[in-house]
Amino acid sequence: MEFRRIEESIFKALMILSLVFVIGSLLFVVGVILWRGLPVLSFDMITKTGEGGYLLGKGGGILNAIVGSLYLAAGGTILAFFLSIAIAFYLQKEYSGGTRLSGLTRLSLDILWGTPSIVYGAFGYIVLIYFHIRASLLGGIIVLALLEIPIMTRAMEEVLKMVPGDLKETAYSLGATRFETTLKVVGKQALPGLLTGVLMAFGRGIGDAASILFTAGYTDRIPGTLFDATASLPIAIFSQLSTPLPQVQQKAYASAVILLVIVLVISIITRLLAKKYTRFIIK
Amino acid sequence: MTETQISIQNLNVTYNGNHALKNISVEIPKKQITAIIGPSGCGKSTMLKCMNRLIDMTDNVTFSGKIIIDNEDVFDKKTDIINIRKKLGLLAQKPTPLPMSIYENVAFGPRIHGVKKKLVLDETVQKCLAITGLWEEVKDRLNSPASQLSIGQQQRLCLARGLAVEPEIILCDEPTSALDPVSSQHIEQQLLKLRKDYTIVIVTHNIHQAMRLADYVIHLYLGELVEHGPANDVFENPKEERTRAYINGTMFSDLKIDKEVDLKGNICPYNFVLAKQALHELSKGKVLKLVVDDPLAVTEVPRGMEADGHKVMSVKQINKTDWEVVIQKKE
Repeated sequence: MEFRRIEESIFKALMILSLVFVIGSLLFVVGVILWRGLPVLSFDMITKTGEGGYLLGKGGGILNAIVGSLYLAAGGTILAFFLSIAIAFYLQKEYSGGTRLSGLTRLSLDILWGTPSIVYGAFGYIVLIYFHIRASLLGGIIVLALLEIPIMTRAMEEVLKMVPGDLKETAYSLGATRFETTLKVVGKQALPGLLTGVLMAFGRGIGDAASILFTAGYTDRIPGTLFDATASLPIAIFSQLSTPLPQVQQKAYASAVILLVIVLVISIITRLLAKKYTRFIIK
Repeated sequence: MTETQISIQNLNVTYNGNHALKNISVEIPKKQITAIIGPSGCGKSTMLKCMNRLIDMTDNVTFSGKIIIDNEDVFDKKTDIINIRKKLGLLAQKPTPLPMSIYENVAFGPRIHGVKKKLVLDETVQKCLAITGLWEEVKDRLNSPASQLSIGQQQRLCLARGLAVEPEIILCDEPTSALDPVSSQHIEQQLLKLRKDYTIVIVTHNIHQAMRLADYVIHLYLGELVEHGPANDVFENPKEERTRAYINGTMFSDLKIDKEVDLKGNICPYNFVLAKQALHELSKGKVLKLVVDDPLAVTEVPRGMEADGHKVMSVKQINKTDWEVVIQKKE
């Protein structure tokens, strides 16, 4: 009896320790970035694009990178969404019937999930060269979509799997087709979870530097068309930190603050949306 | 005899090599309540699932035979399943509201079948909710989530939702087993009201419910059709011993026992004498339960009691050696 109680308290202590570790790391990262970034963050930084020689300490801001990152991540996420939702629905038993093909699809997604993003970047670069296209917004969006698809699909699939079979049977018994059931019942029930999947993928997309390093390029201008090169926050942070000038290096921290805020705002919006739809969910 | 609504011919179902329904042939009468009774796992729900082809959702299942509804074979590949399902409303064991508002739940069926006009939908929703007695309770919160209703209300909502599709037949799969007594009674009353317009097939393992509701009874046991016929005939005078045993077994398990006597270890005829003595002490119409372990007593005690004019209500084996005999003293 005594042993079981000790066992219980050991595991409780371990749980608290890991919790402290996780929250502590987050607070530490955010703290360092805010501490070093906030003093440098200025209105100019978020409203002006880089003037020539920004990285050499000249004036201007990183509006080009902010807008570029939003374009890239939003574009990539939207593209990935349409593909992922189709794959995730297909992986459901009623569509794929649990065949070998669905197993293979899952395996491929898991491998893609584990693939380092620089590999996506290099792959995208080769494809761009092959088609004689320059690094552009479109190239970046496509590579980011590829990077996001495995994350989004697997998250969505897990959520769809949780939808009770009773709900589907009910819809079928009312004479709904498979498509109507999927869209109007399963989709509705899974909506908050699907949104979370999208959010996860967006977070990964907006923060990734390696995959767009070769494919999106870098420029001081805000891209006007899909075929223009574009700047992005992760690469802006990387380039600013790589300069030998301390005043430019400090701006990297300010850029990181902006990136953090964007991710935070998108999370909050998604959570609010999800909450709105959770109301109707059958538990 | 009335018209036939559903004609089942040589129905065989196998799950994972397990023969769940064995060559069932039975006709279900129109605009009556048909109860399918039998213990758990005897294939009652499977039979319902065959009728609306929800059996398709199950893995590793094979079926053969015919189910004819309005001259259409449900199992025929050419038959439009959507059309069949539209004809057969389903009331499941556990209330299953859809993840939407109360209004949208009822409007779901008509909407997918092409009703677009708001006015028509409003009217259907009100009508169906009124039939199930839910309208007054929910008319002010039609747009709140269906999951907020009480479980009994949810089941009535499900019934209303089924009715909105305008089915001819309502299939009920133990529709009250998850509900409290008051809600169960509510559902039963509604089913009785609906009988004049719909053919109702109800699966139940509650024999009392079957007695209260059914016009026609089908008794399944381990996938076999044991007996079927008009409710009065089956309940009053079952032809099959198994049906009699099932009806008695379930009916008297919750009967009020006035006296209990343990006769284990006594041999015949002493146990019979002791049983008579015990019965003698009771007043008329009271119920005596005996527990015996002598194999001879299992047949001889009930026989002797019946010869004396008392009523033997059930004889049931309760474990490897012991039997339970329930006797009611003659009036």
